[in-house]
Amino acid sequence: MSRRPIVALENVTKRYGAIAALEAANFDLYPGEIHALVGENGAGKSTLCKLIAGVMPPTEGVLRIDDAPVAFSAPKDASRLGISMVFQETSLVPQLTVAQNMVLGRERAFNSVRKVRNTARQALQRLNFNVDASQLAGALSAAKRQMVEIARAVLNDARVIIFDEPTASLTPEETEHLFDLMKALRRRGVAMIFISHALEEALAHADRVTVLRNGRLMVTGPAADFDRAGLIRHMIGEDLAKRDPTAAARRPPPAAAPVLQVENLRMGAMVNNMSFSVFPGEITGIAGLIGSGRSEAARVVVGHTKRNFGGGRIWLNGREVRYGSPAEAIADGVAYVSEDRKLDGFFETLGVSENIGLGWLAKFGRRRWIAPAPTMRALAQEWRTRLSIRATGSDQPVLHLSGGNQQKVVIAKSLAQQPRLIIFDEPTRGVDVGAIAEIHTIIRDLARSGAGVVVISSYLPEILDLSDRILVAKSGTIAAEFVRSEATAEKVLQAAIH
Amino acid sequence: MTDATANAAVPMGRKARRSLLEPIVLGVALALIVLFSTTIPGFASLGNLSVILSNSTSLVILACGMAVVVISRGLDLSQIAAMVAGATTFSTLINAGLPAAAALALAVLAMALIGFVNGWLIAFVEIPAMLATLATAMFMTGLFRFGVLRGDYLLILPKSNPAVVFFKSDLLPGLTAPVALMIVALVVTGLVLRFSTTGRIIYGMGDNFQAARLSGLPVRNTIVFVYVYSALAALLAGLVIASASGTVDFRIVTNGSLLFEVILVVVLGGIPLRGGRGGVRNLLVGAALIAVLRNGMTLYDFSTQTQDMLKGVILMAAIFVDNYLNPRDAETDTAGDL
Repeated sequence: MSRRPIVALENVTKRYGAIAALEAANFDLYPGEIHALVGENGAGKSTLCKLIAGVMPPTEGVLRIDDAPVAFSAPKDASRLGISMVFQETSLVPQLTVAQNMVLGRERAFNSVRKVRNTARQALQRLNFNVDASQLAGALSAAKRQMVEIARAVLNDARVIIFDEPTASLTPEETEHLFDLMKALRRRGVAMIFISHALEEALAHADRVTVLRNGRLMVTGPAADFDRAGLIRHMIGEDLAKRDPTAAARRPPPAAAPVLQVENLRMGAMVNNMSFSVFPGEITGIAGLIGSGRSEAARVVVGHTKRNFGGGRIWLNGREVRYGSPAEAIADGVAYVSEDRKLDGFFETLGVSENIGLGWLAKFGRRRWIAPAPTMRALAQEWRTRLSIRATGSDQPVLHLSGGNQQKVVIAKSLAQQPRLIIFDEPTRGVDVGAIAEIHTIIRDLARSGAGVVVISSYLPEILDLSDRILVAKSGTIAAEFVRSEATAEKVLQAAIH
Repeated sequence: MTDATANAAVPMGRKARRSLLEPIVLGVALALIVLFSTTIPGFASLGNLSVILSNSTSLVILACGMAVVVISRGLDLSQIAAMVAGATTFSTLINAGLPAAAALALAVLAMALIGFVNGWLIAFVEIPAMLATLATAMFMTGLFRFGVLRGDYLLILPKSNPAVVFFKSDLLPGLTAPVALMIVALVVTGLVLRFSTTGRIIYGMGDNFQAARLSGLPVRNTIVFVYVYSALAALLAGLVIASASGTVDFRIVTNGSLLFEVILVVVLGGIPLRGGRGGVRNLLVGAALIAVLRNGMTLYDFSTQTQDMLKGVILMAAIFVDNYLNPRDAETDTAGDL
């Protein structure tokens, strides 16, 4: 292409702590082009978009708009240059009307209600969107909210529009309409980026496609040069695609009765008739995209959330159970290691010994009135050695530990309850490479000791590495099941995406 | 491993989580003592010291209950109402001729019930602590003033009743019953917080409620415990105040300054309202400042209004200093979604 790019990234890196979300990325976007970004969860697609939209600054590298280097300190700087982002979780203020949302941040000191409404109404009509401008944004459906965001971007004279999974909440007709609109905008010279997990969509509607993997841009090229299988190969990497599955196959699946049976579980909009079983002594991996209902199902099993009325049945060792609180589940030996250790995993200001001790007290403290520090410290010492948790002492606050050691503390907190069934949700998220291997060893040892182990992970290599049996969740249900010897990264990903 | 060397100087973890406010408040209290000793004749006398001590017994006992609630990330605004209600229950029963032991047992039951209602509303109905306790405070004040006192705000205690006499007597030479009860409250609170299973859970809940629940800890029962504990501390403080003054005075509830002082003691000592941190020592530091200040201001003959203004300024200064010393941690803002 001979034209000048409107957006150019040169060697851009974004780090969160020690972890690079995006590494040395070079990326161009030309006026009048639709550019699709594809990749697994955590590949760096959202990070790339947020950098362009000025949501956060890059750690290293240069971002150029119209050939001029820029340093955005807030999204409004980017929006002044005509860059708009349509977020996945829409960023409308629910208490304001559609019209008020569309002019939000660009109001004058005094605003005529009628003028604002007319501007908004015209903008919506020009795009052929059937949305009432005087309705409250909170009352709109997901698809209509998305429409308002797009109309807002167009109203702001955006030259670059970034869509973060725009079609995830749309019906097929609405999706079709959105792509027609994007093509109309393309004729007006607007450059568009869209993130999508629906590969066919990217191939059919984009001019160019970029594939990301683990924070690196793998390949960029005209959409016509790719097919679905080719994209998936780039998404998962050659080595993983070629890995011989039989080499990793271990023991045959145990013939024992299942520890856990879940049948037709339903919970809100997230879990839709999910059924699966977990057997003792084996690791059941649950793959799937974020939002496929895996964590939600796990949280229902452990009593954290309630299922719908009549929303399925759960058996533990053949006995039907319905836990009203995590405490009841843990009394039965069912533990859950949450996906966000900071949010609901550890106690940040408490020490290592108190964190592990609190887990232990939950199961064994029922008839125990006192829990003196020496007892808790001895317990912590034992687990620190067993899981090789590196801390300066049993009383070091968990917040000061590295991500890997924090995660090990959270795991120790659950293992101290001697669970018969343990569910790990993203057990190695934000953990350094060395600790990942150690945590994997811990998980394997647990299965070997006869416990039922479930690993929920969005990272395919982890699922393939650990699991004896792989379940693939999609839109709140289990879409496929593989024995380890039959599973390949390609098959799992094929089943997980639309 | 710079962390290791930094922490090596700190013997055990309790110090690592101590608020930076505590040493500052302690320093300010000591500075005030020096200031008052030099400017007020008779401030540094043994007699005045015992006045400071006996004047702060009920405050410290109340603060013991409040501290436990605050560490669990709650707040009990009904404490003073419970204190007066407890004293009223006890006084009415002994006025009616019940033996002191039976009256005490019934008062304990009544206060436990009040704490239970608070805890139940917060833990099971999931009403925010501030609203639930505000509502029960209003209810209790109204109920007791119109149901028991028939619209009056004063209740006179029989001065000769052995129970009343006991609560203001000297147990040992120099050790009055209120001071002894205050020490008992401090020791019990310290033991509960540091050694009991419930104490561990209180810290865990205050630090991260969701993590505590997901770890399978009995969080709801612990919330109920905390408010019952606070109500019982309130009863004890009520008995001490009523016996010392010979009356139960409902104006303590309505003028609100005692509740403010209790929260002041807790927060100034370095127990943050977000919970999970602090202990009895923090309580003592906060109480020391307030007690010395109260005494000094009275000796200076400041009006109540001036005293209130000064206390307000001190609270603002403390919050300001605390925010300055404990800025929001950039580490905790790390995005999870890459």
